[in-house]
Amino acid sequence: MRLVIARCSVDYAGKLTAHLPMAPRLILMKADGSVSIHADDRAYKPLNWMNPPCTLKEEEGRWTVTHGKSGEQLILTIEEILHDSSHELGIDPGLRKDGVEAHLQELLAEHITTLGEGWKLIRREYPTAIGPVDILCRDDKSGTVAVEIKRRGEIDGVEQLTRYLELLNRDPLLAPVRGIFAAQEIKPQARVLAADRGIDCVTLDYDALRGIERDGTLF
Amino acid sequence: MKFRIERDVLADAVAWTARSLPVRPPVPVLAGMLIEAGDQLKLSSFDYEVSAQMTMDIDADEPGTALVSGRLLAEICRSLPAAPVEITTDGAKVTLKCGSAKFTLLTMPVEDYPSLPDMPPAAGTIGSDAFAAAVSQVAIAAGRDDTLPMLTGVRVEIEGETVTLASTDRYRLAVRTLRWKPERPDISAVALVPAKTLSDTAKSLTSGAEVSIALATGGTGEGMIGFEGGGRRTTTRLLDAEFVKYQSLWPKETSAVAEIQTGPFAEAVKRVGLVAEKNTPVRLSFRQDEVVLEAGSGDDAQAVEVLGASLDGQDIDIAFNPNFLLDGLSAIGSDVARLAMTTSTKPAVITGKPADEGDPDYRYLIMPIRLSS
Repeated sequence: MRLVIARCSVDYAGKLTAHLPMAPRLILMKADGSVSIHADDRAYKPLNWMNPPCTLKEEEGRWTVTHGKSGEQLILTIEEILHDSSHELGIDPGLRKDGVEAHLQELLAEHITTLGEGWKLIRREYPTAIGPVDILCRDDKSGTVAVEIKRRGEIDGVEQLTRYLELLNRDPLLAPVRGIFAAQEIKPQARVLAADRGIDCVTLDYDALRGIERDGTLF
Repeated sequence: MKFRIERDVLADAVAWTARSLPVRPPVPVLAGMLIEAGDQLKLSSFDYEVSAQMTMDIDADEPGTALVSGRLLAEICRSLPAAPVEITTDGAKVTLKCGSAKFTLLTMPVEDYPSLPDMPPAAGTIGSDAFAAAVSQVAIAAGRDDTLPMLTGVRVEIEGETVTLASTDRYRLAVRTLRWKPERPDISAVALVPAKTLSDTAKSLTSGAEVSIALATGGTGEGMIGFEGGGRRTTTRLLDAEFVKYQSLWPKETSAVAEIQTGPFAEAVKRVGLVAEKNTPVRLSFRQDEVVLEAGSGDDAQAVEVLGASLDGQDIDIAFNPNFLLDGLSAIGSDVARLAMTTSTKPAVITGKPADEGDPDYRYLIMPIRLSS
């Protein structure tokens, strides 16, 4: 990752033309070969950019970025370089699962009796051929239950659970497996789909699971 | 199928039955309303949770059944001209004629329609108006958020000739007791009924003089409660949750009992509450002959109002969510409201002033909001 802060103007020549007047800007050159020019606003969005693959030709006061296939060009006219540094970031571990969702899974596994008296945890992240099921547990009648946890319960979460259930029900040691769709908030459409597939819906109270007591209630 | 019926009778019956049509039917036939004509006309709707069936006497020229879109039928019946209605089946279509208007409706296969749950055994009867009033007094305190299913229900406790209704959303608790006529004098049962369904049902059954309540709990299978009155019969599935043991929530002792004219008090709370931002309270300061209502603080808008009140006990400052307070005041159904308080942090009991000294049949327990200063 190379970071350059420079006073520059940028001209784009390709399918359409664009011009950015002379001003101080941040130029990001990433390991994937992309180049993007940022102003000090609009969060992640660059003013102009070139997707990989592209090549950079550096000349005194003039950098030319050329796209490998289309030949489109980004021409940076550099007046002054204020900062220029490179850093090795390595391979990114990728976007992690939503923090709240992971925490809900951990908390529900810890307090599995939230789902019912006498329930027992089999394990979290129970592996199946198509990915891990959030929680696999046994209800008070020793029936296997697969739980899918979401922060916001929508249709695709029900679909996901349906796929897991189909697979789990092929396992003679576990079958019959029923499903519980647990979320902090469940959309009405998702609720209808879940009910239609015989999946129970449970709304989770994150604060109660975390042991945060409400103030000013009767009980 | 062929029959004639008065427009108002049909419109009422269809509108009532249509209330139980599912908003998002998982199976298309559930969007339908079943019309069965014979010695009687029966209209049915069902969404697996709640079923509704309306029965009335007619004289069908040709008996028969048909399943048509319930929403559409309800909309059509609402806007028919004032003339007798004739409904006939014509192959796979239903024709509805009223005055100069004629509608042709598509039908769905009757054999795909699920059979409605049987009415559980009757447990007793109750005056329909008294029942509707009692349910509305209690249902206001039920929660709307389904995080804890128990909070969205009304608990119905039947003990001989006494029925107790209770609901709570953790911030308040409303309890009403009333007399009814049980089938058996030694009957004892409890049920948790979805509050919204119960209040809609109770309101809609006031056409008959009495409502018969039928209850199936315990044993295998899911619990169910049924209500029947004036040709209308509806069943709903019970909530499968343990209700909070609310008896222990009532304060053991009170240090101050205030009595205020309900009407002026409610109006003052409404007025003063206008400046109370969301989640901020209306503060009440009870003194010997008056109560000072205040809301708003610091840099925000403020309001203050003084009302006459009688106080028996110590002076007390206490603060409530204005909406919860108003709900309670509107539900007591009495000209004089009585507030029994302990301290500014302990729940207070709102009741109407009873005509004679005895336990009031309606009690509303409300949690105060702690004052920060």
